[in-house]
Amino acid sequence: MTSTPTTTTTTSPKAPKAPAAPTARKTIRRQMSLPVVLLLVAAGLVLFSAVRVVTGAHDLTSDGQAAAALQLAVPVGLAGLGGLWAERAGVVNIGLEGMMILGTWCGAWAGYQWGPWVGVLVGVLGGALGGLTHAVVTVTFGVNHIISGVAINILAGGATQYLSRLAFDGVQGGTPVQSPNIDPLPRWTVPHLADWLTDINREHWFLVSDLAGLCGGLVRDISALTVIAVTLVPLSFLVLWRTPFGLRLRSCGEAPVAAESLGVNVYLYKYIGVITSGALAGLGGVFLAEVTADFYREGQTSGRGYIGLAAMIFGNWRPGGLAMGAGLFGFTDSLRLRNNDNVRALLLLLAVLLVLLALWQLYRRSYLAASFSVVFGAGSAVWYVLSDEVPAEFIQAAPYLTTLLVLAFSSQRLRMPKADGIPYRRGEGT
Amino acid sequence: MRQVTKLAAVTIAGALALTATACGGSSSDDSGSKDKGIGLAFDVGGRGDNSFNDASYAGMEKAMKEFDIKGKALTPRDGESEDDKVQRLTQLAKEGYNPVIGVGAVYSKSVKKVADQFPKTSFAVVDASDNTGDNIANLVFTEEQSSFLVGMAAALETKTGKVGFIGGVKMPLIEKFEAGYRQGVEYAKPGTKVLVKYLASPPNYSKGFGDPAEGANAAKGQLDSGADVIYSAAGASGDGAIKTISQAKNKWAIGVDQDQYNQKSLAAYKNVILTSATKNCSGAVYDFIKSVVEDKKPMTGVHEFSLKDDGVGFSVSNPDFAAKKETVTKIEAAKEKIISGELKVNDKP
Repeated sequence: MTSTPTTTTTTSPKAPKAPAAPTARKTIRRQMSLPVVLLLVAAGLVLFSAVRVVTGAHDLTSDGQAAAALQLAVPVGLAGLGGLWAERAGVVNIGLEGMMILGTWCGAWAGYQWGPWVGVLVGVLGGALGGLTHAVVTVTFGVNHIISGVAINILAGGATQYLSRLAFDGVQGGTPVQSPNIDPLPRWTVPHLADWLTDINREHWFLVSDLAGLCGGLVRDISALTVIAVTLVPLSFLVLWRTPFGLRLRSCGEAPVAAESLGVNVYLYKYIGVITSGALAGLGGVFLAEVTADFYREGQTSGRGYIGLAAMIFGNWRPGGLAMGAGLFGFTDSLRLRNNDNVRALLLLLAVLLVLLALWQLYRRSYLAASFSVVFGAGSAVWYVLSDEVPAEFIQAAPYLTTLLVLAFSSQRLRMPKADGIPYRRGEGT
Repeated sequence: MRQVTKLAAVTIAGALALTATACGGSSSDDSGSKDKGIGLAFDVGGRGDNSFNDASYAGMEKAMKEFDIKGKALTPRDGESEDDKVQRLTQLAKEGYNPVIGVGAVYSKSVKKVADQFPKTSFAVVDASDNTGDNIANLVFTEEQSSFLVGMAAALETKTGKVGFIGGVKMPLIEKFEAGYRQGVEYAKPGTKVLVKYLASPPNYSKGFGDPAEGANAAKGQLDSGADVIYSAAGASGDGAIKTISQAKNKWAIGVDQDQYNQKSLAAYKNVILTSATKNCSGAVYDFIKSVVEDKKPMTGVHEFSLKDDGVGFSVSNPDFAAKKETVTKIEAAKEKIISGELKVNDKP
């Protein structure tokens, strides 16, 4: 049972083609060290700054942009964090979207009646209830995880639709598809610092203003729920990687039979993992209902649960990585929504990145890949030069395209938990 | 293992059953007779969208009361296919509802298809004129005219020389709003810059018209770019935009379809709603039903509801706006010119 038949699906199809030595090195070097990550971030910032100066699209790194990116990233990140807890315990959770829907509905239902903080609590409970359902079906009854997850998505959508009609129709300010308004949660701005950073950002200095803009977005008009959501990322890391509890939970996702032989109650840990997963996704839903809007609205989640799952896979089933994935998605999404010039500037950025990639590929002697990169890079450069405006359809697709590209290039050495998605029965491992 | 499979089957069946019941909800009871009354199919969002679905339903309710007939209204599911729409209309026609009304341009094709099969039933489609027929009435509005007028209001009230437009979905219907708005802005104060943002493209209607987060971020982006009056034609996504605008200082929002200043769910932000480009769906639907039920001479072909017959218009319910006498007078003057035909508004950008 502890063999690895399913992990092959996630390793890159290119792996066999590559020479043996790099493959071996790849598996050893699973994670980038902190200095390398910081260096990459710094290089990215310089590149962005340069593109901003060249194109004059100053909104690219403004504080408003950073704030919008953060606000769009939080629900995705919370869903991803939810996915992390479930999958580290060995349960695939495609039902995140449904649990998020339960979070939006329950949060708004309690929120408009008894205040926003009660809404947060009830939304989290609603999500946890979805998680509990998933746990009962997958862990206790051993149903295929995907089937159960899809069922939860359908069930959550249908149930909230039905309940909205009962709970919100006829209430002052409510309709059959929308809840009455919820009072806002507290928001904070760091005094002086925020204004100071905004002033620097307005100067449009190379690099300095960009840095100020990105930091400025993080200290201005921040919702209490955003602070909580951001703290949950390092907290999850500490709990899952630095405590005996986390080790046991992760062992259930890697080798449940071995964990069982050492006296770990695998069922219990899987239950905890999946219920926490639902609670986190529910919190993401509450964020949508209470911070981005101030009401529940049918279809409000619009697929963010799935994107959260993708962010988690992008992040190699680790909290830091999934936060980066969510940040990337939030950033490209806000680029798309805010200003059409942003996306045009993105074309230039894409061209530069592809050329850099081509150089790297040449260095690695993969000539075919390099020529592809050069062609696409040249293509987007030409497009940038020749056009004043990019079509709306392209603007709308940009975040998804960017995410797809980044995923395609970065997902070559992902490793999911070994027993993720494999049904486990107590006492069956021999 | 067999037990497990069974349980999975039961779970799925249960889930599907629940969704099905939730989708097929009807708003009114029906009798057993052949002629059952009015059948109405909602667009995405359904009843409770605070916008044209609700307005259409109001027209239907008024007719039901006045002519003492019954009716049934069906709400679609998010992201459903063309076949679902055809099936919904067929179901209404088959059950004996007459007339049958499809609310929204999304029903254009399906109404045509079903109307050919039920030649004795009268059909109407709101907001679409590309598929006509002997038993189809196309109820359309000159939204470009109302958008022109609110465009003037935006241009006359902007302090920064930049105004914004947020469209839900990039399709001909919404481009009409944009076209009118741009011309109104240019007419009132030439040289004013219009920032345009579409949230989604067809068939992604639920994201464009039903996601407040989208509208909120688009509005924030335009505010940060210097726009201080923003017109959103984006259904419930626009509610997010209005909320965001209310958090900024000295900025105006312009509402759409109904007088959003008086909309209950927006009561907290109504002070920033300068005016709204209104559209009388309720009257149009009522007129159509009346032609079928009362006059026995069903409307067919394209019927345009314009400024002339108050099919579209702009609202002055916000006292802050009503107090800007000069602006309102200028807009009223332009309105007269459009009605008399002296001023032409294009419906294409």
